[in-house]
Amino acid sequence: MSISREKSKDEVIQALHNVASEMHDKMSKGNPPTMTLPVRSKSNIGFDQRLGVYKYGKKRTVRDATNLGSAKQLLRSLHVTEFIEEMINSGKSSTLREMYYISEGWGNGKFHSQNESNNLAEDLEIVTKCLREDFRLRPEEDGARIIGNVTFEERNRRGDWMRINCRDDVGDSGYGVPYNVESEKLRLIDEDIDFVMAIETGGMFDRLIENGFDEEARCALVHLKGQPARSTRRIMRRMSDEWKKPIVVFADCDPWSFRIFASIAYGAIKTAHISEYLASKGAIYLGITADDILAYDLPSDDLSKQDLGALQAELSDPRFSTGWWQQQIELMQELGKKAEQQSLAKYGLDFVTDTYLPEKLAHPDVGLAY
Amino acid sequence: MSDEKPLAGKQKQIAISEFFEKNKHFLGFDSLQRSIITAVKEAVDNSLDACEEERILPDIRVEINRLKDDRIELISQDNGPGIPRGVIEHVFGKFLLGSRFHAIRQTRGQQGIGITGVVMYSQLTTGSKTTVISKVEGESSAVRVDLGIDTRKNKAIKSGESRDVWIDEVTGEEIKHGLKIRTEMKAKYQRGKQSVYQYLRMTSIVNPHATISLTVKDRDGSVIEEGHWLRTTDRLPRVVEEIKPHPHGIHLGTLQRMLREAEERKMTSFLRHNFSGVSMRAAREILEKAGLEESRQPRRIKAGEAQAVLDSFQKVKLLNPPTDCLSPIEDLLIKKGLSKAIDSRFASTVTRETRVTQGNPFQVEVGLVFGGDLASDSPIEILRFTNRVPLMYQQGGCLLTKAVESVDWKRYGLDQPGGRGLPKGPAAVLIHLASTNVQFTSEAKEAVAANEEVLGEIRRALMEVGKGLRNHLKKSSQRKKAQEKFELINVILPEISQKTSQILGREEPDLAPIITRIMNAVFCEEDLGWDTTRKLATCDITVFNYTARARAYTILAKWPESETVAMVDNPLGGRKETHGLWAWRLDTLDPGSSAVISFTVSGLNKGDWPDMEIFFRGNGDIIGATKIDENLLDEMRNKEALDAAAEEVRSKEDPVIENLAERAEEVFRVPNDEGVIDMGSLTPDQGVDE
Repeated sequence: MSISREKSKDEVIQALHNVASEMHDKMSKGNPPTMTLPVRSKSNIGFDQRLGVYKYGKKRTVRDATNLGSAKQLLRSLHVTEFIEEMINSGKSSTLREMYYISEGWGNGKFHSQNESNNLAEDLEIVTKCLREDFRLRPEEDGARIIGNVTFEERNRRGDWMRINCRDDVGDSGYGVPYNVESEKLRLIDEDIDFVMAIETGGMFDRLIENGFDEEARCALVHLKGQPARSTRRIMRRMSDEWKKPIVVFADCDPWSFRIFASIAYGAIKTAHISEYLASKGAIYLGITADDILAYDLPSDDLSKQDLGALQAELSDPRFSTGWWQQQIELMQELGKKAEQQSLAKYGLDFVTDTYLPEKLAHPDVGLAY
Repeated sequence: MSDEKPLAGKQKQIAISEFFEKNKHFLGFDSLQRSIITAVKEAVDNSLDACEEERILPDIRVEINRLKDDRIELISQDNGPGIPRGVIEHVFGKFLLGSRFHAIRQTRGQQGIGITGVVMYSQLTTGSKTTVISKVEGESSAVRVDLGIDTRKNKAIKSGESRDVWIDEVTGEEIKHGLKIRTEMKAKYQRGKQSVYQYLRMTSIVNPHATISLTVKDRDGSVIEEGHWLRTTDRLPRVVEEIKPHPHGIHLGTLQRMLREAEERKMTSFLRHNFSGVSMRAAREILEKAGLEESRQPRRIKAGEAQAVLDSFQKVKLLNPPTDCLSPIEDLLIKKGLSKAIDSRFASTVTRETRVTQGNPFQVEVGLVFGGDLASDSPIEILRFTNRVPLMYQQGGCLLTKAVESVDWKRYGLDQPGGRGLPKGPAAVLIHLASTNVQFTSEAKEAVAANEEVLGEIRRALMEVGKGLRNHLKKSSQRKKAQEKFELINVILPEISQKTSQILGREEPDLAPIITRIMNAVFCEEDLGWDTTRKLATCDITVFNYTARARAYTILAKWPESETVAMVDNPLGGRKETHGLWAWRLDTLDPGSSAVISFTVSGLNKGDWPDMEIFFRGNGDIIGATKIDENLLDEMRNKEALDAAAEEVRSKEDPVIENLAERAEEVFRVPNDEGVIDMGSLTPDQGVDE
């Protein structure tokens, strides 16, 4: 069930016990209990040459029980450990949200928000080098939609394999990506496309479908729904690996969209421990770029204070350290503007499919002219 | 006084109604909304003043009924002494402008034109009469009379007079003494910051000895607003006395007149008998500096010489005028008054010593409440009072507001955007200025005029309560931290230990050394409570040693010691350190152990003692207690000894008392002119504010 090699039940339980063991050992020596985990910030991600993605570096932070907040975190980890062990032993699984509600019964170890429980699950993934699938924890985040001439086989609730062509067997909303896209749940069967295009907004996704862009340009369209879920990034990674198709990203021109791209191409800071399973190395940022705002004279909005802060932070983000990104970010700061994908409608509904995308795809750096 | 001008001398024949019409903006009748507030104010102020003079605890009922066409019926009833039949028309039918201002004495009535204005306004706007029912104790029946005003003769017209037994509509009992007024006027009832409700709420805060109720009914008889403020003390304000003028407030003309009319034969006796604050020593010094013989006859003093006397008034150190002419509300009662009107967590109050500005004694009182229901994101509420009368208009232009704005509140823990102006936060500030002569910015008497000395006093008072707030906030945050630590070691850590051992199937580790490492400090916690059966305030102080070494301390606690408040149980003994400060020497505290000091106090009511301060003597810090400043403690002891000596002397009525008091004043004049050394300044880090 796991992404790489499957971990046995015993391995998972042992990994979790190691966390409890660190605490117990410390206490036996008369010290406050601790939990050691990597620093999860942009200052501690580095490019892994071998894997071609960004991973956590060597910086470690020690969470110790000298203040109430961290002590409660440690207690929660132990409750979660117990809970996972129970699920593994009884062959059950639960959603992250269910775990959050179950924690109501954990007394002092209960979570106060779902964010807290999600973060702790991630902490445990990182410390134990297991995945939340190993922990029997599912997200309830819904995956993306896909339209295009690709064929998957998905195992349905009855356990049967169901063949779905994402052009002929789906309605206008496309194929809904399930939360688990590993091989025991989803197989990549067949394709007749040249590339995969990830689209940030639903409005643009629908526009391209209405204009028949998937057939005309021979591509699969993936709607990201904002910051893409793990399964969305994972299925793109599999299409890139197993079908050797290039991934291009078409997003708004704003600092948050750049981060969406980075999470697809290099890995997200929050999930850098599993970047090698989620990131599609070589993914290309197609647009909208700061250059486009000028070149196409697009309607634009002023950057907010938060936008400017995010841009400034990106300048020192190792994922944006290339000359091209630095130049784009600086140009954007200079313009003080951002633009949406849909601003292309200034030149008519067909402009994006007739002019903008063909021009961008034909650019020598992209090389996907059709 | 400029108020009287239109009435004085030749102009007296001007119709009083014309005078009223011309001046209604400062008489408080310039708008329909304001007229009803002014009317209530005149009635209630009179009731409070009358009750105070006759030493009656006031019960005041105000009823407002909306009638049609912007008409309002106002009924106000008190349990005061009533007004004898013969003088009713004087009280209600004459503008008392001027006459009452001559007495140098603090009264509420200083600030209005009196109830006559209400009778006049009612007559002018509705043509109706004002009904008065008055019952004087000892008379067999109450007198009821309808009053109007002859606007040309400035005189009341009585009609429909009758006498009858007066039965209270609410209780059904015969009323022994009291006054009821019923009048109708054009007015609009409104709610909010400037309303009758707010006026009475504020009045009740500074008159904790009064019970006041308000009922406002709509045309259909439904109640639209109601307020009920019960008295929180049975102590009436002190009787205020008239005083002689103080030399610092005298003008040349007045001095010359006084000299002319003097019956004394020597200047020394003239000065001592006609002015307050002038001792024999001071009189001699004044005359010496003015170059005058002590035996000169006052009536023979020439203009130039009078000027010299006036000048030397400023050069000689004089005693303050007597303070009996002022009636401060006093700390504890402000606290009680505030707590009945505002729900808060913390209250700090201060009553400053009486000061003098331009010969007029004044006294500043400030109260600050914090927390509880108060809104935290808006500017603090300011409750302004002069001589126990609320000020409701022109907040921005008032000296009291400016004083609040001039304080750097950030250092006391309130948010003050831009470092100036009204601070923001869940707080309310009460400022009471008592004086024989409050100077206002205008005749409307809504805002106190600029005065450096008054401003300085208010600022010092605000900083004092600010200091209290800062200590409170510091304490609460320390307490919160300590509580977190206790939860950590007593609850969370044992659970972690239990869970890890359970998960791993190992033995539970010994937590004692871990706890010492996590805490590594001595903690002090106090618990103030109330013993309902014995009517005693209880206090438990617990000291925990969570360090790796044994510790020894003396713990000192501040407690509200007074003539009526005493310690009852105190098993650990200890000793009195100084007035209001008790000390216990603790046995050596081993690592991981704790000690408890318990004692009970009589003479307090529940809730009188919400907060306490704990000090310690010994090495190393204690979280939750402050290291005592021995120097300040010594100073306090000295002052206490001197006070005791002075008290002894005073009780023997020895004439040296004047000198002693002066000496005491010189000895304890501290550099920043704060005048008193308070217990709040016991902490060593304090220093001088500003």
